Amino acid sequence: MNNLKLIILFLALSILFSCASNQNKSYVSSDSISVSEFSSSVELLVSDTNFLEDEILKINAKNPSVQRILVNSDAYLKEGKLIQANSELERALRITKKEGAIYLRLAHLRYIQGLLDESKSFASRALLIKEISSWERLLLNVYLKRPI
Amino acid sequence: MKIKFTLGTLGIIALIIVFVISAAVVAIIDSRVTNKLEGVLWTIPAKVYSRSLDLAEGSKVNKSNLLRELNMLSYSENKNPSKPGEFIYKKNSLKIFLRGYEEQKSGLFEIFFQDGQISKVTNQLGISVDIVKFEPIAIGGMYPSHMEDRILLSWPQVPTILIDTILSVEDQNFFNHNGISFRSISRAFFTNVKAGDIEQGGSTITQQLAKSLFFTPEQTIKRKVMEAIAALLIEFHYSKEEILLAYINDVFLAQSGKRAVHGFGMGAQHFFGTSISNLETDQIALLVGMLKGPSLYNPRRNPNNATNRRNLVLGILAKRRHINSSSLEEYKSRALRVVSPNFRSETKYPAFHDLVRLELRENYEDSELRTQGLKIQTNLDPVLQDSLENNIKKTKAQLIKKYGKRLIELEGAAMAVDISTGEIKAVVGSSNPSKFGFNRSINAIRPIGSLVKPFIYLTALNKYDEYHLTTILDDSKLSVKSGGEIWEPNNFDKKFHGKIPLHVALWQSYNIASARLGMELGYDSVQEIFRKLGIDKSIERYPSLFIGSFEMSPFDAIQSYQTIAADGFYSPLRSIRDIKDLKGDIDLSYPYKIEQRIRPEPVHLLKFAMKQTFISGTARGYPGKTIESWQAGGKTGTSDDQRDSWFVGFAGDLLVLVWLGFDDNRPTPLTGRSGALEVWKNFINDIEPSAVEKNKLPRVKYVWTDKKDGLVSGEKCKNSLLVPFIIGTEPNTIPPVRNKCASRPNRNKSDVMQKLKKVFEEGQG
Repeated sequence: MNNLKLIILFLALSILFSCASNQNKSYVSSDSISVSEFSSSVELLVSDTNFLEDEILKINAKNPSVQRILVNSDAYLKEGKLIQANSELERALRITKKEGAIYLRLAHLRYIQGLLDESKSFASRALLIKEISSWERLLLNVYLKRPI
Repeated sequence: MKIKFTLGTLGIIALIIVFVISAAVVAIIDSRVTNKLEGVLWTIPAKVYSRSLDLAEGSKVNKSNLLRELNMLSYSENKNPSKPGEFIYKKNSLKIFLRGYEEQKSGLFEIFFQDGQISKVTNQLGISVDIVKFEPIAIGGMYPSHMEDRILLSWPQVPTILIDTILSVEDQNFFNHNGISFRSISRAFFTNVKAGDIEQGGSTITQQLAKSLFFTPEQTIKRKVMEAIAALLIEFHYSKEEILLAYINDVFLAQSGKRAVHGFGMGAQHFFGTSISNLETDQIALLVGMLKGPSLYNPRRNPNNATNRRNLVLGILAKRRHINSSSLEEYKSRALRVVSPNFRSETKYPAFHDLVRLELRENYEDSELRTQGLKIQTNLDPVLQDSLENNIKKTKAQLIKKYGKRLIELEGAAMAVDISTGEIKAVVGSSNPSKFGFNRSINAIRPIGSLVKPFIYLTALNKYDEYHLTTILDDSKLSVKSGGEIWEPNNFDKKFHGKIPLHVALWQSYNIASARLGMELGYDSVQEIFRKLGIDKSIERYPSLFIGSFEMSPFDAIQSYQTIAADGFYSPLRSIRDIKDLKGDIDLSYPYKIEQRIRPEPVHLLKFAMKQTFISGTARGYPGKTIESWQAGGKTGTSDDQRDSWFVGFAGDLLVLVWLGFDDNRPTPLTGRSGALEVWKNFINDIEPSAVEKNKLPRVKYVWTDKKDGLVSGEKCKNSLLVPFIIGTEPNTIPPVRNKCASRPNRNKSDVMQKLKKVFEEGQG
């Protein structure tokens, strides 16, 4: 439990740092929410898979062609067609490997497939991408920290 | 009691015998009929396809590779593309009439290019569609013993004009007879006499279908009777639509090597490179016209015969009012428009097929592959595959020119894979790549020479509190007892280089420094890194291991380099993408798997040293800008007595490995640089990989250091190099001699952030 608190504290602090240093790129910089409200959202991300999934599917790709594929993938995911969702995500990766939105979905897909190590690895891999937003970074960290 | 055999009794007995024999014959024929129409006809070999190409807005594109692929897909250039399979390439755009594949509809699209990327994809109305998908190239199949190949059409997929043409030419009375039509026979006789040519056959469609039940072509009265019985039985068992559909799927249209092309679905693909629904009336007329003599009217071999026959069929269609007279003239004036066969038989890419079969063997029985019409989509990139094949042959020819005929028996293997995903894009298993036989990419287990060194150096760099790129190694004379003998390794240049920074020892490929480093690290540590790189084989505990006595196949070697090129993320190599059933549903998929085996920072340091191989080391020669844009790195390898020449290198998204050597293991005149690297360079120069972006590694900083002593230096100092370090491990000492030119390393500004990162990263494991 102490670990979980430490994780939440770290995530909250890291997002605040990121927002402060990178206001233009951040998705959350425009929302003025209190720290307590924010940390409860972070706690939900860690503990509630459905809430996390909703947040993941809100992350759009910058590239419109990739976004079009992600829409297909999201639809498959909602229908429970995980193999098809994965095929679409791999298709998107062949177009570009610079979109955090793809890796986030892969990390989530593997998580719900029960492949937790792979989920973490996808999240770690995405953290090497230069152009990911602070919010994407935070969400990726959730997969690195999710309890098994 | 005596039985009195009267004439009547004998007659009855004879009748019973005849009846029994006839019943037996009918039963045998009946079993053939049902077996064929419910069995063999519907068994379809599994087909193997290349990957299908997506052209998407924002994706990188190499125009010359795209044109090569269009050529392989048998698209033809036309100033005004108006039919499936046509395109026009302008300076910054490609206008193309796609044939359609899966969810991609056939139609006219325009793809715009800007700065090596696709800037826009529009449809015929100029509306942006973001992405278009090309059909894959069929590269082989898993055939049953009868070698029949077909694409099954269902009733809704059969164009009306095809039915009209078949019935007009082959059997006008089809829906009114019971399998045999004396009217058809007599009418055909009179029509043909009147036309002075054979316009119509006498056999009904049902009889023709019955003929194909008997696989030998003999023409005897007995056989004719049997065919007639079979025709009646077919009519008895099946509806007219079922019979016509079976005929459409079964007729023999061509022989392609050992493969027999059956049915109009496969015929359309074989001769026009497209689906039957995309064919126009003149093309349908050509296919139907071929039924009379598939060889005589083969449009590739006998275009004049084929044209005449097509025009005759078109005339019949006009006579039956299926087309009007102006259309008739227009169709007759058209060229045949047959494409060169884009179906590759299984002999095309044998080494790749070996890998596919190996992967399939784990999940499918042989009989399933030969009969269930599975569609195997692979990761093969046909342009890369062709280029790799051509360049291994081309380089061998260049080497023979340089070193003489002693290299005539030189063999080789090469592989190209996508670094991140482990997708196998191209494989060559021989210096004669189209030849079936010993596949060296998976079966040649050879000493890897200096290809082992990055594994040793990674073992060191992974202990980042002890080693970094400027750790000083000792390259002076070494003499150790090994296996009861004294082992004294030597450098390739036969010189000792004294104290040198670790990164220099790697890109200069110094043996003695590497051997000392390996011994210092210990066999267990090295074995642990081997395991992380995917090498399960135990190492032999001899110091020669550290400079290249370790043996691997090209496949295993490139797998271990995949983890390095992918920044420590291991992904098993895979040749298959997915397998679909006849309905198009995914039967089995081979998803992208990933496992972080090593932290990215030590791997980044190793990759930096491997990049120096291109800048100043054994693979020097490329412009710095190119190396930077590709984020290229590599390693040469040469085994004892130059028996094996290796090179592995990454550039852009690709990791490519090449091995050259003799099968009987005799020495070659080649080093890694003069042999395998030449194949690598020829291939890479041909396909021109796209640029890739650098990774974000916040824990790594770059510091100017001296190439000899490894201490702090500066941009303006001589012999300096900007070297990456994991933060906290960078050198701080500035020797007095460089006081003026050296740059002072910056201390990290935010201690709080560092501490937070530390807490987080420790948790990450």
